[in-house]
Amino acid sequence: MKEFKSINDILDFAINEEILAAEFYTALAAKMKHKHIKETFEQYALEEMGHRAKLEAIKNGKRDNFSDAKVADMKIADYLIEVDEDKENMTYQEALIIAMKKEKSAFRLYSDLAAAMTGEVEKKLFLNLAQEEAKHKLRFEVEYDDNILTEN
Amino acid sequence: MERSEEYIKNERKQDWRVALQKKTKAKDRMSIERAIMAETPPEVRITSQRIEVNTGLTKEQALVEASRCMDCVNPTCMEGCPVSINIPKFIKNIERGEFLEAASVLKESSALPAVCGRVCPQELQCEKRCFYVEKLHQPAIAIGYLERFVADYERESGNISTPKMLAANGIKVAVIGSGPSGLSFAGDMAKLGYDVTVFEALHEIGGVLKYGIPEFRLPNAVVDVEIESLRRMGVKFITNYIVGQTASLDDLKADGYKAFYVGSGAGLPRFMNIPGENSNGILSSNEYLTRVNLMGADSEDSDTPVLRGKHVVVVGGGNTAMDSVRTAKRLGAEHATIVYRRSEEEMPARAEEVHHAKQEGIEFLTLTNPIEYMADENGRVSQMKVQKMELGEPDASGRRRPIPIEGSEYILDCEVVVVAVGVSPNPLIPNSVEGLDVSKWGTIEVVKDKMQSSIPEMFAGGDIVRGGATVILAMGDGKKAAKNMNIYLTEKYLVN
Repeated sequence: MKEFKSINDILDFAINEEILAAEFYTALAAKMKHKHIKETFEQYALEEMGHRAKLEAIKNGKRDNFSDAKVADMKIADYLIEVDEDKENMTYQEALIIAMKKEKSAFRLYSDLAAAMTGEVEKKLFLNLAQEEAKHKLRFEVEYDDNILTEN
Repeated sequence: MERSEEYIKNERKQDWRVALQKKTKAKDRMSIERAIMAETPPEVRITSQRIEVNTGLTKEQALVEASRCMDCVNPTCMEGCPVSINIPKFIKNIERGEFLEAASVLKESSALPAVCGRVCPQELQCEKRCFYVEKLHQPAIAIGYLERFVADYERESGNISTPKMLAANGIKVAVIGSGPSGLSFAGDMAKLGYDVTVFEALHEIGGVLKYGIPEFRLPNAVVDVEIESLRRMGVKFITNYIVGQTASLDDLKADGYKAFYVGSGAGLPRFMNIPGENSNGILSSNEYLTRVNLMGADSEDSDTPVLRGKHVVVVGGGNTAMDSVRTAKRLGAEHATIVYRRSEEEMPARAEEVHHAKQEGIEFLTLTNPIEYMADENGRVSQMKVQKMELGEPDASGRRRPIPIEGSEYILDCEVVVVAVGVSPNPLIPNSVEGLDVSKWGTIEVVKDKMQSSIPEMFAGGDIVRGGATVILAMGDGKKAAKNMNIYLTEKYLVN
């Protein structure tokens, strides 16, 4: 497992994760056949860059504003099958599934890292990062609930 | 038809209206109870897909119900009608016994009164805005029942009127899709003198009115009469013609069409993407209902039968889910069950449809969600794993979201599953027309209230713009589009 020697190490790791996520969405956007789905993935990439900027600001001394409020987990992503990411003609539903699952896996990663930490400060930071990902996931789940499961 | 407040007020001051206003005192009108719609008994109607549930008001009932209406100075009911029917005028015509005149009032604004009288959610629109509801907290005038009565009376009388038409102007316009939105648009454009052709991908005209709504709610014959009225107004219909595939928009332009109205609907099925959903026996509500409604799959000797089962589960809580599960009951399911993720309170289906479904023995599993399907050795679905849900705290939008209860999973038997969780816009036009602005949901972007797309000569409305709405909202879009396309075409081709 990767070793984290300082809080900045953890933040650098998280910042890199956001960069990778943005690159992932940008690459998906590039291969989409239809303009509106291309724009959807570009929007997701921008959101990841926003998360990155927030973490960079914390690293640069800005007080973090992580909330301790429990984030609801609708668990929609938990039961959906994976979307074929090689497809070029994805639907909006498939785009949302990819996003929900990606945020879920980031949440799990940070939760696992929090569990593995011995220092309280490091543990707390990873838990906060996990909560941030849970919030991002909830944003996609609510969108899925409102726009895809319209009659369920 | 344009209606100013002054026009409405002057209409109300006509001698015959004034005489009716004086004839019965307000307190006597208010003392009358709302009419009750007669229904075919559940045990009778579930024997056939083609026995209508509601049987309509009698003439006597209609006369009494019409006399409840106060002929308000400010008829707020009209504000609740997406196509602005002059509601008091048609109701007062019923009260004085002029049923055919009442029908022609409906036709001034609506191309499909017999349809709207049956399937519009009046309780959320005109009736919700009725004086009786807003001021007296009493049951509304049964506007929907009266609309249906008048439209049926006219149809059965054989004296079907044609609305006033302007002289033909020779300008060709094309309508893509023959659902409620397209038909409403076609009727208004024909009245304005345009040469209107409706292109329909299927072999029958009517769109969702025919393929989506079962005959026990809306008989096809009722829809056909309304379509015939449009034909008499000069509207041409071409079936089995897929714009975007059989011919492109450019082909139609080359044929002389100057403008287009896209009302291609939301006919793209949506599935849940859960494991096992590809098993045989799991159908979309679109396929299930189309096979029965449009292709006669309810008949034992149908060439295109639909799968039947003892246990049929329908996933969803909208009108489409109710239509599907009640169809399953009529096809012989011993257990026809709704599985819905939220509580009954949140069901998007009309309360009337849920009530009728319960009368017919439909079973309801609310706060329950499928998470996996299991198939037998032949790949046919045999069971589904469901999970109980609970509603969480209201979120920022005020909506309580369903949250799964860990460890609450259990198994349901099912040989047929119909997925009715929602639909998506038909992708053909949005994906095939260069320069057309499309939302991330795949709907066509239009200028609100003008219904004009990013391509000036292309207008759109109904589910292809809204993603999923009611028949009457789709018709309202058609009316708005006709009004604005008329302005566009007049400026471009008719003004020197």
